[in-house]
Amino acid sequence: MRKPLSFSYKLAIVLIMVVMGAIAGIYLPWFALGILFAVLAYVLRLPAGNAFVLGLISGFLLWAISAFWIDMQHPSSLPGRMANLFPLGGSVLGLYALTGLLGGLTGGFWSWAGAKLRFN
Amino acid sequence: MKYIKSIFPLALAIIWTYALHNSWGTLPPLGKLMSPFHGFWVNAEAPESAELTEENLQIPGLEQAVTVVYDEMAIPHVFAQNDHDLYLAQGYLTAKDRLWQMEFQTHFAGGRISEIVGEKGMVSDQFQRRMGAVYGAEKSFEGMKEDPKAAITLQAYSDGVNAYIESLDERHFPLEYKLLNYAPEKWSPIKSALFLKNMSFVLASGTDDLKMTNILRKYGKAVAENLFPNYPFVESPIIPVGTPRDFKPVPIPESPIDFIGLGSAMKTPEKDPNIGSNNWAVAGNKTVSGLPILANDPHLTLSLPSIWYQMQLVAPGVNVYGSTMPGTPNVIVGFNKNVAWGVTNVGSDILDWYQVKFKDASKAEYWHDGKWKKTTQRIETFNIKGKKSFVDTIFFTHHGPVVYLSHEKPFKSNIPVGHALRWIAHEKSQESTTFYKLNRAANYDDYAQALTYYSAPAQNFLFASNQGDIALWVNGKFPLKSYTLGKYLLDGTDPKADWTGYIPQPHNPHAKNPARGFLSSANQSSVDPSYPYYMGWQYAPTERGRRINERLEAMSKITVDSLRGLQNDNFNIRARTLLPLLMAQLTSPKAGVHAQAAGELKRWNLQNSVNSVGATIFENWVLMLQDAIWADEFEADDQAPMSRPSMDRTIKMIQDEPNAPWWDNVKTKNKKERMAEIISGSFTASIDTLVKKHGVMGPEWAWYKHKQTGVRHLIPGMDALSRLNIPIGGGGTIVNATTMKTGPSWRMIVELSKEGKPRAHGVYPGGQSGNPGSAHYDDLIDTWAKGELRSLLYLEKPEDVSGRLRKKIVLSTKK
Repeated sequence: MRKPLSFSYKLAIVLIMVVMGAIAGIYLPWFALGILFAVLAYVLRLPAGNAFVLGLISGFLLWAISAFWIDMQHPSSLPGRMANLFPLGGSVLGLYALTGLLGGLTGGFWSWAGAKLRFN
Repeated sequence: MKYIKSIFPLALAIIWTYALHNSWGTLPPLGKLMSPFHGFWVNAEAPESAELTEENLQIPGLEQAVTVVYDEMAIPHVFAQNDHDLYLAQGYLTAKDRLWQMEFQTHFAGGRISEIVGEKGMVSDQFQRRMGAVYGAEKSFEGMKEDPKAAITLQAYSDGVNAYIESLDERHFPLEYKLLNYAPEKWSPIKSALFLKNMSFVLASGTDDLKMTNILRKYGKAVAENLFPNYPFVESPIIPVGTPRDFKPVPIPESPIDFIGLGSAMKTPEKDPNIGSNNWAVAGNKTVSGLPILANDPHLTLSLPSIWYQMQLVAPGVNVYGSTMPGTPNVIVGFNKNVAWGVTNVGSDILDWYQVKFKDASKAEYWHDGKWKKTTQRIETFNIKGKKSFVDTIFFTHHGPVVYLSHEKPFKSNIPVGHALRWIAHEKSQESTTFYKLNRAANYDDYAQALTYYSAPAQNFLFASNQGDIALWVNGKFPLKSYTLGKYLLDGTDPKADWTGYIPQPHNPHAKNPARGFLSSANQSSVDPSYPYYMGWQYAPTERGRRINERLEAMSKITVDSLRGLQNDNFNIRARTLLPLLMAQLTSPKAGVHAQAAGELKRWNLQNSVNSVGATIFENWVLMLQDAIWADEFEADDQAPMSRPSMDRTIKMIQDEPNAPWWDNVKTKNKKERMAEIISGSFTASIDTLVKKHGVMGPEWAWYKHKQTGVRHLIPGMDALSRLNIPIGGGGTIVNATTMKTGPSWRMIVELSKEGKPRAHGVYPGGQSGNPGSAHYDDLIDTWAKGELRSLLYLEKPEDVSGRLRKKIVLSTKK
């Protein structure tokens, strides 16, 4: 059994995932996020138990914050419309959350997969 | 076991990602769509700054630089140095704002929706293709290419659209591609032809020949002709009565012998009586400025993105402003320095059905003029999303494509009989030349010459010039027919029932500078019965036309603003005649909501204004009354659908035929209803439905709340991208012709000026951008609903300074 990861180590991993995830998002297809997180989990030797949560938090933060950031930079009625379409009753906050959740689960599943491939 | 445990999360991640990468039914590909780096978030556009910004864009194919300035409504004013570059820029800029719509509408027109939405699009797709949409577009494209200028225009436009498509990466696709999960394909000039052809579907594909034949079969010719007369009792035709004739009519073909077809059921759209339009021009002697003013408001299905896109197009020899249709080059309705023009639809009968007698099940031969003749076949392939492609064979007689009945009437599937469609929209045509020339017209002669190229859909082309002329041509290609030919289904074996020629274009109904000082059209009868040719027996209801003519007759010292008032006129001219007739028959309700409602109607000012309760009561009553009179005898029946007599005919019956047999409800045995009973009964029933729908009589009964006008996104059911329950008055037979789904799709008023500085005003219920993430997606709707217009910026050169300019783009060629 390895030592449990320290908080600052976990924080560093989240930061790396978020920053590299953003770069992948800008240049690569959307699912590159998952593959990147799997590779990171594998290379950084994340324990399977932590990998899912760290991937989930990173993916959530990356997508939710990016969505929020875009909305601040490009204020438009579009998020409100999309929040009606989904339907989230027009709640843009709900839309940030849904966006974050999808990014989070994608990140989480793939990090877990990456970690599991090493520590089997 | 260990191995499986380590692979399991990977499998889960792959399945999850696959699920989010694809669409499932109507569920969009969530991963792609929601990713802030790829999905809809990317489509959010910040409102532009009030300062003029400048940018440069490189576009392959341009010969010289093109300058584009956008005003505060995001309308591009395009300055090119030659025609080729002008239309290339038009294609590019239109695609920049409206790519998805252009492609979706041409996919729809060409019967290719199932490629996007799968099998559920097949009904519409097969209908489009069997009606000959693609066949017609191909033929019309052939015709358009014969004019070298039009050919250059169409090709350059297409190159411009493609230049934009090629500049796009997936993350910058318009939102709808992301929602429906597909990618734009290359544009081609034939798509412009498909778009124009689709206007014939929208405006000139209505047909009730079958319903009329079903009536003929059930009630006989005398009743059919009595209830469905060939000219309205009350009319104010488009060409003023007494307009001198400047041509010698050609002989009219002989009538075929009476034919009673087999009738039966078939899916063709009913003519939507609400799709119509208004236009009028007043001569200088009736205006304050002393020069003509022209107004136009084509009524179409209200949609987002809007069917119209405003542009100013400038190059040597042309400086035109107006509304364009995304998908085709040139301005369709607009003005230049010297002239203005507008269009409304002509409801003439240019679509007929011929009952075909096939020799055998192979459908290789059909009987005509005493011999067996060969059919031709056309193969149509449908590439259905998520399914195997489907191949359909369409059989053509010399009339046109045959539409089978067998699948709708299986018990007759052994009878090799269908109907062949003869439709003007299948003819070779040159509409693009007409618009190219109209854009450059300097006077009446140029305008009249431009119209000689036009076939379909026939339009009332209204014109005004700064030389003081006003004119109107009822224009298009009209078959030369014996009287009422094609009112009923025709005999496909009888050569005398064939179309044998066309009304010579110079003989098309027209008027120039009439003594009364104005010309107008609102889809009513083109001419009075003294016109030597037969054009059709049924036009739009006469109310809008009558009201407009009555107002223009009375008005003097006309200004743009007084005509704006007329465009927004909510007076219910039908109620003026009908309401007193109905009230005279109404057994006065003693108390309760019925008495209250009757009181409201008595106080009603006959205006279909936004909050009017009287309008709600009257309009709903008229609907229920028509049901009460006609539904029993002319009930919609899948096996034998029938038309209902017009309101014009119904009013005549209320006035003069209180004992007509039609008043009796044939469904009630042993009881003979009389007129007063039917009228009172329908009143009670209509009030009961209103109470059920809106509760107690009060503000909830406001006309706009009952009418529920909406501007809906082109994807059915996309309420989140639509604007619903818009507070606006009007109605189908009101000059302000706003109904639930249709209405004035572009309102324009142009006051011409001797100095070549026309003052123009316009608005349409939408916005320039097709992107729901743009502030310009629906920013003009409120102005439109209030009945206001925006002043239109007509520039002479790109350096013109105006506080209304927001963005300048210089397009230069890509090295």
